[in-house]
Amino acid sequence: MVAALLTEELVDFVESGVSILVGTRNAELRPHGMRAMGATASPDRRRLTIFLPAATSTRTLANLEDNGAIAVTFSRPSDHQSIQLKGRFLGSRPATLEDRFAQERYRAAWFEQLHVCGVARSTSKRWAYWPSVAIEIEIDALFQQTPGPGAGDALGAAR
Amino acid sequence: MIPLSRLHRCLQGVTPSQIVTCDRAGIPNTTYLSQVHYVDERHVALSCQFFNKTRRNVEENPYACVNLLDALTCDTYQLDLKYVRSETSGALFDSMATRIEAIASQTGMKGVFRLLSADVYEVLDARKIDEMLVEPERDDSPPPSVLDPIARPRGELRGLHHLSQRVSRAVDLDTLLSSLLEGLQEAYGFEHSMLLLPDETGKRLFAVASRGYGESGVGAEVEMGDGILGTVARERRIVRIGDVHTDLRYGRAIRRSARDSGLTPSPEIPLPGLPDAQSQLALPLVAADRLVGVLALESRKPAGFDDWHEAFLGVVASQVAMAIDRMLERGEEPAHPSRASAQPASERVRAFTYYRNDDCMFVDGEYLIRNVPGKILWKILRAHVHEQRVDFSNRELRMDASLGMPELKDNLESRLILLRRRLEERCPDVRLVRAGRGLFRLEVDARVSLVEKDSP
Repeated sequence: MVAALLTEELVDFVESGVSILVGTRNAELRPHGMRAMGATASPDRRRLTIFLPAATSTRTLANLEDNGAIAVTFSRPSDHQSIQLKGRFLGSRPATLEDRFAQERYRAAWFEQLHVCGVARSTSKRWAYWPSVAIEIEIDALFQQTPGPGAGDALGAAR
Repeated sequence: MIPLSRLHRCLQGVTPSQIVTCDRAGIPNTTYLSQVHYVDERHVALSCQFFNKTRRNVEENPYACVNLLDALTCDTYQLDLKYVRSETSGALFDSMATRIEAIASQTGMKGVFRLLSADVYEVLDARKIDEMLVEPERDDSPPPSVLDPIARPRGELRGLHHLSQRVSRAVDLDTLLSSLLEGLQEAYGFEHSMLLLPDETGKRLFAVASRGYGESGVGAEVEMGDGILGTVARERRIVRIGDVHTDLRYGRAIRRSARDSGLTPSPEIPLPGLPDAQSQLALPLVAADRLVGVLALESRKPAGFDDWHEAFLGVVASQVAMAIDRMLERGEEPAHPSRASAQPASERVRAFTYYRNDDCMFVDGEYLIRNVPGKILWKILRAHVHEQRVDFSNRELRMDASLGMPELKDNLESRLILLRRRLEERCPDVRLVRAGRGLFRLEVDARVSLVEKDSP
C-alpha cells in the first residue's frame, strides 16, 4: 500500500463537521463499524487522533488490540463529499480536557450539518461523546470516496 | 434480535447508512449507502450502483456490518449481515431500480447513475445501540402517532373509506379530480398533491389538477421517463422518497464526480412543486394495463410517507384509475348542439394569438396553452367570432380530424378540463361551462380579437 499523508485541505476537511465512520474487524474477519465524535491531525499530517465515545467503543478497541487494521471514512452530509483512509492502530488513551475542547468544536460543526439535513439540534445533541477514548492511527492510504465513478481513486500527497 | 419491521423509518433513506466490510487480507472498508431495502424479516437488500470495494469484499468475505440512523430520534441500529446473492432482475430489482432511476433522472444523471444489482444479505443480528444516546429529555420524544402508525389502523381505515366514498360519488372527471385531492387532505392530511394525465401522444404527462400550491401548475408538462413523475409513469411503479434532498444531493454528488470523469449528463429538470419538499410519494394510475395518470404527493416532513400510506394509497389509486378510465369512455351525445347569438357583455378586449406552427396560444401577449387544447380553443373562438356560436359538443370536436384526437378511447374530457382551468387562471373573461353530458357553452365577457401567426 502506498503511504500517503493528508494535504492541508484534507486536514481542514477531516477536522470539520463531517460524519466519521470507523471500521475494524476481529480475528475471524468479521467487520464492525462505529461512529466517532471528532478527529484531529498531527502537525506532520501522517497521523490522526480519533475520539471514540467510551460507551460504544468496546468492540472497536478489542479489534484494534487484536490486529490493528482500521479504515475511516469522513463524509459531509450536505454534499456527500467523502474520503476514506486506511491505517494502522498505534495506541489508545483516555481523552484529555484539551481533547474535549476539540470534540466540542467538532460537535457544534457536525450538528449544524445535521440541522441542514433535517435532524433537529435537540435530537442530535443527545449523542453520547464523553467520556471518550482517543485512538492514534498512522495513515497508510487515502481514497476519494464521494459516490460516483471516481470513488476509490487515490488521494493525498505522497510521502 | 429486534424485528426489522420496527426499523421502517431507517429504511427510507432519510440519512445515509454506514457499511463496513473486510477483504480476505483483513483490511476493513468503510463507506456510506443511500438505500437499505427491507426484503423480509431475515433479509435486506443493498443497492449496488458501481462495482466497488464493498462488492468485491463481500465476494471474498461475505460479512458486513451496517449502521442505520433514525433521523427523528437519532437512535442507531446495527445489523450484522451475510451476503447471499446479487439480483439483476425481478420484482426486488425493479422496485429498487425505479427509485434510483427516478432520482437519477431528476438530477440529470440518467444512464450514469443506475442500479447494477440488488444485493441481498441475510440479517444475522439486529440490535439497537442504546449507549449511543444519553437519556432523552421528556419533550424530545416524538409523538406516539409518529412512532408507530401501524399500531392504529382504525383511523386510517376510516380515512380510506371516506376517500373511497368521495371518489365513487364523482359524476364527472372534473369532480373526481377535485374530490380526490380534497379527500386526500381530509382523510390523511396530505396538503400538497397533484394529478397528471397522459396527453394524446402518450409521450408526455400534463398536470390537470393540483392542491396546496401557490401557483396551480396546471398545464405543466413532464416527459415520460423524465424525473420522478416521468419515471413513475413509464415504469408504472410507486416511488417513495423519504428525504428528497438527501437523495438529490446524493445524485448531485455522483453527477459532479461523473462530470469530472468526462461524462456529460443532460441538464437538470426542476422539481415541480414545493421548493422545500422533504418527501415525495408518486403513484401510477393503471386501469386495464394502461397508464391513465400519475398521482403525486409532497410533504415538508422528512419521511412524510410511510409503508401504510403506500399500501392504502395504492388501493385509492386503483379505484381512481378505473373511474378515470370509465369517464373517458364516450357517452351518448347529441349530434346537433343548439345555436345562440353571442352577446359580448363588456367593451374590454382580450387579444388571442395563435401560433399555427406549434399550436401555441397566447392571450394578451402571455402564454396560455398549446397542443390539442390550444387547437380546440382556436376552433371554438373562431366559431364564436365568425359564426356567433356559443354552444359546442364534444362530438363535433371528436369529428374534427384537424384536432388530432385519438380514435378509440380519447382524452378529450381531460383536455377540456385543462383548457377550462387555464382559462380560469389566465383569462377569466372567457369561460367554458358544462351544459349537459357531452356539451359545453362558451361564455365571453369581453370582445375577442383573434390573430394567427407563424411561430415567433
